[in-house]
Amino acid sequence: MDVVLLLQRIFDALFNSAIYSSLALALVIIFRSTGLLNFAQGEMATFSAYIAFVLLAGAAPGVKGGGLASWIGAPLVTPVAIGLAVIIGIGAGAATERVLIRPLRNAPELALVNVTIGILLALNSLMGQWWGTGPRVFPPFFPSSPGDHIDIAGARIRYSTVGAWLVLLTLLLLLALLLRYTRAGLAFRAVSIDPVSAALNGIRVGPTLMYGWALAAGLGAIAANMSANSVLLEPTMMVRVLVYAFAAATLGGLDSPKGALVGGVVVGLSQTLIPAYVPFIGFELSVLPALVAMVVVLIVRPAGLFGTQRIERV
Amino acid sequence: MTEMMLKVEDLHARYGAVEVLRGLDFEVPEGNVVVVLGANGAGKTTTLRALCNMCTTTGTVLFEGDDITRAKTADIVRRGVAHVPQGRGTFPELSVMDNLKIGAYTRKDNEVGADVDRWFEIFPRLEERRDQLAGSLSGGEQQMLAVARALMCRPRLLLLDEPSLGLAPLIIEDLFERFAQLNKETGLTMLLVEQNANLALDMADYGYVIESGEIALHGPAEQLKNDPAVQEAYLGA
Ligand SMILES: Nc1ncnc2c1ncn2[C@@H]1O[C@H](COP(=O)(O)OP(=O)(O)OP(=O)(O)O)[C@@H](O)[C@H]1O
Ligand SMILES: [Mg+2]
Repeated sequence: MDVVLLLQRIFDALFNSAIYSSLALALVIIFRSTGLLNFAQGEMATFSAYIAFVLLAGAAPGVKGGGLASWIGAPLVTPVAIGLAVIIGIGAGAATERVLIRPLRNAPELALVNVTIGILLALNSLMGQWWGTGPRVFPPFFPSSPGDHIDIAGARIRYSTVGAWLVLLTLLLLLALLLRYTRAGLAFRAVSIDPVSAALNGIRVGPTLMYGWALAAGLGAIAANMSANSVLLEPTMMVRVLVYAFAAATLGGLDSPKGALVGGVVVGLSQTLIPAYVPFIGFELSVLPALVAMVVVLIVRPAGLFGTQRIERV
Repeated sequence: MTEMMLKVEDLHARYGAVEVLRGLDFEVPEGNVVVVLGANGAGKTTTLRALCNMCTTTGTVLFEGDDITRAKTADIVRRGVAHVPQGRGTFPELSVMDNLKIGAYTRKDNEVGADVDRWFEIFPRLEERRDQLAGSLSGGEQQMLAVARALMCRPRLLLLDEPSLGLAPLIIEDLFERFAQLNKETGLTMLLVEQNANLALDMADYGYVIESGEIALHGPAEQLKNDPAVQEAYLGA
């Protein structure tokens, strides 16, 4: 076996892994706090990337809201546009919880999941209507010229992959510190475990959930803005990514940030490596290994790799 | 005249279509211990839940003169009402220490650490298990944690739902001594639901007996203790 080629494939897969892990982490944050799988997570993220696109494109035919950039004082530079878009994505995430989820908090969970599917469809149509369904060129988040890579043992790892991992690991570290050492983090953990008891400790459950949605939306927005350059920006850009992120989150244990990270890596690697080395699985079937891994993990460990097995009261 | 800390008028509560409380009127004077007695299913737990707006209610609940009937549970707690619910209120997946910190969530002063130490002094078993998950404590230890957790917010009114449940007799006596002491030393007002009527009436100033969601009987604790109906139903006489 060609070791350099293997290494190269791993390096290439690691970019997707970072994106899957980020989105899986967003899913985990909402699942832990609200007890809900947010099917709209991918479209919410794509929407933020379109905002960045609008801010960068300026007024142009077929670009809804393109005047915004000139109104702010265009042209915006890429980091500022993306930064603004992520902030808007965070606000939109908070608003989604406040306007669409909180009023329905007494509805059955399955009904709420259907609401998120509704948000998915609505956002998807909206983006198609405003910005067209065709792919758009999106600027790179990290330097992505042909020479922008590091050589390791004959294989090349691109700056964008390194950058995506640095961003992801930094965010994970911040999240861990937030959860462990801050009052807000303590409130978030309490609400995740038992909202009724949390309220009895004076914790306002609604706002706490809203911060969770904002955080998750921010993670998704960053993931979308990081990957829109390589996959091209289009309304359905995150649909496949969301499926992989679901597999990653489930594999890792749905309520575990660590699980989301590991799950994303496993899914990303298996998606690239297995079709490359197992002849009867073509690249068209690349989703299969991830799903098989997910099923196998769930059979062996129903709570997922790192998920909490519920502690029952005596 | 003693100030009314809690004044409840015509309180109704329902779960879905089933009305569980059918018009309660009662009061808790400041600094008093008031006990609620009643058979299983009479509506005692529901009464405490209704005070914290944890179920669908009508009627009026006044806390220190303010109408809190429609206030959110978290905001009622912030006003100074702590609730030790029946077998709940703590977080099994968090450590003993984190549970106490969550109890102090509403506080902004810097004496939280001192309060934790004080509770560890009172319940040394909790200190030994400070980093253990609350869910792995014994039933009695969990009950101690539930009480300490609720008192960490320095409430003015403490709602206790069967704090003696599942505890050994010696520990129950000890716990009730603590309650009496707290009441005497800090003037903490308490509304106590208890099956252990003897012990509860000994400590209480006043008592209410609930039957099928209505107040069947009420009076000073001394008087209830000597009431033949109460003796037969709750004191095992
Ligand atoms: N969540 C609920 N949904 C529907 N009915 C409920 C609910 N909780 C309590 N009930 C009903 O309300 C009535 C009163 O219950 P409650 O828990 O207040 O009784 P209790 O006096 O505290 O009894 P116990 O001494 O057993 O704790 C019971 O008939 C019970 O079945
Ligand atoms: Mg009860």
